[in-house]
Amino acid sequence: MADKLMRILYVEDEPDIQTVARLALETLGGFTVEICSSGSEALQRAPVFQPQLILLDVMMPGMDGPTTLGKLRELPQFAATPVVFMTAKVQPSEVAGYKQIGAVDVIPKPFDPMTLSGQVQAIWECCHG
Amino acid sequence: MADPVELQAKLKALNDGYAMQLPEKLGQIDHAWEQLPRDRWDDEGFQTLHRMVHSLTGSGKTFGFALLSDVARNLEEYLKQIVQAKKVPDENQRKCIQVLLSEVHQVSMRRDAPAGDQTGLVEVAPSDLGTTRSKHIFVVEDDHQQAEELKIQLGYFGYDVSVFNKLADFRSAMQAKPNVVVLMDINFPENSREGIRAVKDMQQERDTPIPVIFLTSNIEFGARLEAVRAGGVGYMNKPVNIGNLIDRLDSLTTTLPSAPYRVLIVDDSEALTTYYATVLEQAGMSVKAINNPLDVMPPLLEFNPDLILLDIYMPECDGMELAGVIRQLDAFVSIPIVYLSAEKNLDKQLFAMGLGADDFLTKPIEPHHLVSSVSSRIQRSLILRSFMVRDSLTGLLNHTAIKDQLDREVAQTKRRGTPLSFAMVDIDHFKKVNDTYGHPAGDRVIKSLSRLLKQRLRETDMVGRYGGEEFAVILSNTNGETAKKVLDAIREDFSQLRHMAEGKEFSVTFSCGIADASFFGDSTKLGDAADKALYQAKHAGRNQVMLGHAPPVSGVDFI
Repeated sequence: MADKLMRILYVEDEPDIQTVARLALETLGGFTVEICSSGSEALQRAPVFQPQLILLDVMMPGMDGPTTLGKLRELPQFAATPVVFMTAKVQPSEVAGYKQIGAVDVIPKPFDPMTLSGQVQAIWECCHG
Repeated sequence: MADPVELQAKLKALNDGYAMQLPEKLGQIDHAWEQLPRDRWDDEGFQTLHRMVHSLTGSGKTFGFALLSDVARNLEEYLKQIVQAKKVPDENQRKCIQVLLSEVHQVSMRRDAPAGDQTGLVEVAPSDLGTTRSKHIFVVEDDHQQAEELKIQLGYFGYDVSVFNKLADFRSAMQAKPNVVVLMDINFPENSREGIRAVKDMQQERDTPIPVIFLTSNIEFGARLEAVRAGGVGYMNKPVNIGNLIDRLDSLTTTLPSAPYRVLIVDDSEALTTYYATVLEQAGMSVKAINNPLDVMPPLLEFNPDLILLDIYMPECDGMELAGVIRQLDAFVSIPIVYLSAEKNLDKQLFAMGLGADDFLTKPIEPHHLVSSVSSRIQRSLILRSFMVRDSLTGLLNHTAIKDQLDREVAQTKRRGTPLSFAMVDIDHFKKVNDTYGHPAGDRVIKSLSRLLKQRLRETDMVGRYGGEEFAVILSNTNGETAKKVLDAIREDFSQLRHMAEGKEFSVTFSCGIADASFFGDSTKLGDAADKALYQAKHAGRNQVMLGHAPPVSGVDFI
């Protein structure tokens, strides 16, 4: 499992955050990033893209982050894929709650575009250390 | 890895785009809020509003609006509680939402410093507060005798002086870019204006110019002009008037009050207090922030602020009520209170000021504006306070203040059992100085003695101007014998000072009487004893220090 992190799926409904995250992760981090605007889109695209790590916004219209995570876990190939929540809520109790439902970590929003890829890389190394 | 410059440019473009869309986003939030029915619970509408604010919270900082994220978070958390309760907000809750929303609007104009600035906050001009300037002086003078004379005279006032007789030596010493004040002769063997040229060369190599005072017998306008162009801050004719030179040096090297200004902020928004606190702290002030107005009393008394910043709208107790309460305390009758509020209505501002505030700053306030408003108000109030306790000529404590201080110190000494001495200093034949050289010369002598006393005594010692040419000194933790040695050394140095008036040099002496507190029961008896010792010193021929005797054991005074 100690593969190099290459492919990241990012599920986020806001276009401006999508753009800056793509810039941060692709240009700065050198990752290949697929962006989906909703949970349902992510469920369709994930099997094709085969991400090694999934970044999930928590609060999205329609299907929210935790629901999307549940549905992803029902797909056999994503039963163990590390999922990281992105959220403006960073109270410890909430972080613990997210971890309990299967997230490996939480990246607080607003994130700093200059350090985002470093944070993602660190989480990846932590999962596979 | 991408080209960092290109990346920064892309990020900047994204930030610009976000900034442009921001007004529209806020407009949508306002709209969503106004659309909500007041008479029934609209779950979907409230969810939408909450989500919009949530996204603002989650994005602002990413695009260079860090404060927006913080302030939007307050609103977001408040809305979330309401969404969870699923109840139509009541009048108070509506008001609260309005206030939070208006704060979001205010900070939406507050963009962070451009990328690359690690502070993440808008830059605040560096302040002089707390910076110490050098007391080190370089004297550059080819005349050995004049140079040594300057060194000795300046030494009396606590300046550390290095003498350079050759420009080449000065140039090589300046290579190390020391933090000094330079006293530069203009005429050197090489050229009649070589000193100016040397300064010009030196300034070019420095980022911040070094203060230079030119000393010269050359009174040509051309030379003066050239000196100004070389970055000289002063130009004095020889023979140098030491009093004037010291005045000049003191103003160049004086540090502002070493204790930082203390500001108390009372604002219910934690994000804003943190922000204002950071801005003021960056400017060298010490800040205490309180979010609940009902908690104001203990920090007010302990922190003893120089100024209070009050938010006008707060739950529980508003800013105006709070100002009223603070003004009821004797100790805070004169403290500057400044309201910090989004209130733009002049009538309301004036009404608020009627309730005890000194000024109104309208949010959002520019960081440098906040810093300068706060510091200028504190400065003014400290100056006003100093008028009450300071002597105007010398800046020393005035008669009343030094007497009050003596009462306090003696009481403390008796409690703690520590030593203390009180000294009275009186300039000898001062009337003759005034009569011979005029009152301005007399004032300069008084100033030079006051400066000498301040500079040669410890921070903890207190110096006051007791009367015309009479000074009082409280030396804490010092017995009579030690106090006598200290003041005798000062007396010796003072007698060596050269004063100047109408082109004539003269010197002055003083007499001093000291009393040791351990022999006297209270401050009145101590003061009388010092006065008596001073009289003895005068009587014994002046220019000397006399230590008063212990009173007779019987305790009965005969006159």
